Amino acid sequence: MNDSMSIPHLIMNASLVVQLVMILLLAASIASWVVIFQRSFALSKARKEQKAFDERFWSGIDLNELYKDVPENHEAQGAEHVFRSGFREFNRLMPKTRSSEAVLDGVQRAQRVALSREEDRLNVHLTLLATVASASPYIGLFGTVWGIMGSFQSLSMAQQATLSTVAPWIAEALVATAMGLFAAIPAVIFYNRLSAVASRLLGDYEDFAEEFHSILHRNLQGRGNQAA
Amino acid sequence: MAKRMRRNGYGLPVILAIGIHVIALLLTILRLPESEPEPSSSSVVQATLVSDVTATDQAQYAQESRARNAQRQAEEEAQRQAEADAAAAQAAADEAQAEQQAADRQAQADAERQAAAEQAQAEAERRQQAAEQAAAERQQAEAQRQEAEAERQQQVQAREQAEAEKQRQEEAAEKRREEEAAEQQRQEEEAAEQQRQEEAAEQQRQEEAAEKRREEEAAEQQRQEEAAEQQRQEEAAEKRREEEAAEKRRQEEAARAAAEAASQDALADSIANEQERIANAQQSSQASNNFINLVKRAVEDRWHPPANAAGDLVTQVRVRLGPSGELLAATVTRSSGNPAFDRSATQAVEAASPFRELRQLDPGLQRKFRDFNLKFTPGDVQ
Repeated sequence: MNDSMSIPHLIMNASLVVQLVMILLLAASIASWVVIFQRSFALSKARKEQKAFDERFWSGIDLNELYKDVPENHEAQGAEHVFRSGFREFNRLMPKTRSSEAVLDGVQRAQRVALSREEDRLNVHLTLLATVASASPYIGLFGTVWGIMGSFQSLSMAQQATLSTVAPWIAEALVATAMGLFAAIPAVIFYNRLSAVASRLLGDYEDFAEEFHSILHRNLQGRGNQAA
Repeated sequence: MAKRMRRNGYGLPVILAIGIHVIALLLTILRLPESEPEPSSSSVVQATLVSDVTATDQAQYAQESRARNAQRQAEEEAQRQAEADAAAAQAAADEAQAEQQAADRQAQADAERQAAAEQAQAEAERRQQAAEQAAAERQQAEAQRQEAEAERQQQVQAREQAEAEKQRQEEAAEKRREEEAAEQQRQEEEAAEQQRQEEAAEQQRQEEAAEKRREEEAAEQQRQEEAAEQQRQEEAAEKRREEEAAEKRRQEEAARAAAEAASQDALADSIANEQERIANAQQSSQASNNFINLVKRAVEDRWHPPANAAGDLVTQVRVRLGPSGELLAATVTRSSGNPAFDRSATQAVEAASPFRELRQLDPGLQRKFRDFNLKFTPGDVQ
C-alpha cells in the first residue's frame, strides 16, 4: 500500500550519484557472490581430492605405480601436484647424481615450487572478497552521505521541514548503506571461512610434502647403505 | 574423476550469485508491503488530534479574508470619499440651513455682542441722537423685539428639527458602519460645538436681550441692522474660515483614520499570511485526517455495538478500499475476544461504505488511505 517507501521505488527515485553507487555495490555484491560460490566449490573439491589422494598414497601402493597411474594429460592439483613434481624431479636426478643430498635438495625445490603454485591457486580471487568486504561499507556510506547532502540542499528550499518531507530522502540515501552492508557482510564471512579452508589445505599439502620428503630420504638412506 | 576436476568454471557460480540477488530483491519487495499495515494505525491515532478549525478552512479563510480586506479597503476608501463628499454636502446643507438660521441667529447675537462694544462707544453719541427719537422708536423697537423673539422661537424649533434630523442621520450612519464612529464623533463634536456655540449665543443673546431691555434704545435697531449686515458679512467670512478649518481638521482626521486603518490592515495582512503559511503546512496532513474523520463519523453513525459490550473491549479492523472508495475488505486484525462485538464493528464498516470522499484526495494520499486500521472501543471509534 505504501509504494513510495518500498525499496525498488526508493532506488528508482534516488539521485544519479547514489544510483551509480548502488550499481557499483550491486556489481561488487554479485562479483563477491560469484567468487564465494566458485571458491567454495573449488575448495571443497580440492579437499575431497586431497582426502582421496591421501588414502591412495597411504594405502601401501608403490610410488612408481602411483606416479604412472595418473594419466599424463590430467593436470595434477593439490598434494598430487606436489607429489608428482617431487617424484618427477627425483626420477630425473637419480640417474644423474650419486649424491643423495643433491637429489633431496632438487626434490625439495621442486616441491616448494609446486606448493607455491598450489597456494596461488587456492587463494585466487580471495583478495577480491577482501576488497569488497572492506571497501563496500565505505562506498555505501559515501552514497548515503551524498544522498543526505542532496536532501538537505532540497530541504533548504522547502518552507517547512516535517518528518514526512525528510523521511523519503533519508530512506533513499540509507538504501546505499544497506546495499554496502549487504555486499560486505557475506564477503567478510566467506573471506574468513574460505581463507581458513585454503590455509588448512595448504598446511595439509606442506605436511604431505614433508612426509613425502622423509620417505624419499629414507629410501635414499637405504640405497646409500646398500651401495655401501 | 577427470571430468569432475575440470568442472571448475564460473558458469554455475555466476548463476547462483545472480539467483541469490534476485531472491533478496524479491524478499524486500514482498516483505515490506506486508509489514506496512501496522504502522498505518498510527495515522488513525493522529486523526484524534485534529483541531476544530481545519487548516484547509484556515487557508481558504486567510485567502478570503485577504480578498475581503482588499475589497474592504477599496470600499472603505470609496466610502470614506463618499462620506467626505456626503459630509461636505451635509455640511454644506447643514451650513446652508445653519447659515439661514445661525446666520440670522449668530449674526444678530454676534452683531449684538460686538455691537455691544460698539454700542458702548456709540451709546454716548447714540443717546444724544436717539433721545429725540426715543419715544417713537421705543414702540417700534418693542414690536420688533417681539418679532425677533418669535423668530428666535421658530429658529429654535428649526434647530431642534435639524438636530433630530442630524441624529437620525447619525444613527443611520452608525447602523451602516462602525468605522464611521470617528466621523460620527466628529459630527457629534461639531454638533456639540454648534450647540455650545448656540447655547453661548443664546446666553449672550439673553444677556443681550436683558441689556437691550435695560437699554431699550430705539436707535439700536438701525444701527443693529447696519451692524448686523456688516457682521453677517464678517460672520460669513468667519464661517468660511471656520469651515475651512473644520474641513482641514476633517481631512486630517480622515488621513489619520486612513493611516490607522492602513496599519491595521497591514497587521491583519501579515497575520493572515502567517496563518496561511501555518495552514498550508498542516493542510496536507489534515486533509488526510479529515478523510479519516469522515470515515470515523460515517462508521460511528452506523455502528450498533451489542448490548453486552463491556468497558475494555478493543477490536481493530483493517479496512481496504478500492480506488473509488468502495470497500474491498474489512477484516478483524485484532479481536476483542467478543465475537458479537467484532461482528458489529465489521458490519458498521460495511454499512458505512462506500467512502466516496476518497476520490477528492490527492492521488498520493489516496494510495495511502486505501488501507487503514480502525480501532473500535465501546463508546467510540478510533
